Amino acid sequence: MNACTGVFAVSCTREHSTGAKTLQRERQLNQFLAGVERRALRIAEIAVRDRDEALDLVQEAMIKLARNYAERPGEEWTPLFYRILQNGVRDWHRRQKVRNRVMVWFGRGKKDEDEYDLVANAPDQAGRAPDDQLQTQEAMQRLEESIHELPDRQREAFMLRTFEGLDVAGTAVAMGCSAGSVKTHYSRAVHALRDKLGEHWQ
Amino acid sequence: MNDPGKNEQIAKQAKELFDDSVERLDAATLSRLNQGRHRALEELQASQHSAQWLRWAPAAGVAAAAVVVVMVMRGPDVVELAPVTASDFEMLLEEDSFEMFEDLEFYVVLDAVASEANGDVG
Repeated sequence: MNACTGVFAVSCTREHSTGAKTLQRERQLNQFLAGVERRALRIAEIAVRDRDEALDLVQEAMIKLARNYAERPGEEWTPLFYRILQNGVRDWHRRQKVRNRVMVWFGRGKKDEDEYDLVANAPDQAGRAPDDQLQTQEAMQRLEESIHELPDRQREAFMLRTFEGLDVAGTAVAMGCSAGSVKTHYSRAVHALRDKLGEHWQ
Repeated sequence: MNDPGKNEQIAKQAKELFDDSVERLDAATLSRLNQGRHRALEELQASQHSAQWLRWAPAAGVAAAAVVVVMVMRGPDVVELAPVTASDFEMLLEEDSFEMFEDLEFYVVLDAVASEANGDVG
């Protein structure tokens, strides 16, 4: 084997190992996204109260994670993914505020309640009795409305800690703030929800 | 107000309702999520392909620089031509000159004779 063939063989081996590594990374990312996407969608949906918008936000977050952070260790993906998603949600709210101001100025403003019907958007898959199903859906609707009324940071802290199950440190990364702030926001959110839902939830 | 037990209860109940709503996502929504995920994975493949090309960019840059250096060091490979004078054009334009080409052998002989004569003198 001459020197040139040797160099080629080394290059091929390196390419092969890089390819295998890439494939493995792709599989890991696919597994991660498949595991997180449904909860992420519901979290985004509660924040923006629109399923289509929430789907777009989740897809955007998945693409950004794949493009910019695929090489980061897998354990960092969850807080990074939610950080991207929360930034997307905040941008969406900013755009909505501007849009609503313009629409109101033109006399075409709409209330959120007119646009979104949670019950209609949540068909039952488990085949439960209609009464049980309705009761659960109503409870979820009340919860969603209460969460939606929370200040943005409290809502983020509550959903990331409770729904996604992130710890304080992970939530801090996802929210881009200190662990102390996360604790404060979460605690205030829970108190506010107790006040709002207290009469229904015991 | 600050009852950790009640706070935990609220969080637990909220989590149960949330998980239930996740389970109830319809097929169309799940399909769209699936499509979104595959688009993200395509993005990953695309970014990795461009990264592979970028890996060769420094080598390509060095090779291009080496070619430029070699060309500069060798200098321009140009044959210098004698300047064309007005008399050359005159010769070409004269009618006689064509006749001269027709009697080329005669001029060759004439030149040889003249050289011989010069040799004799010298």
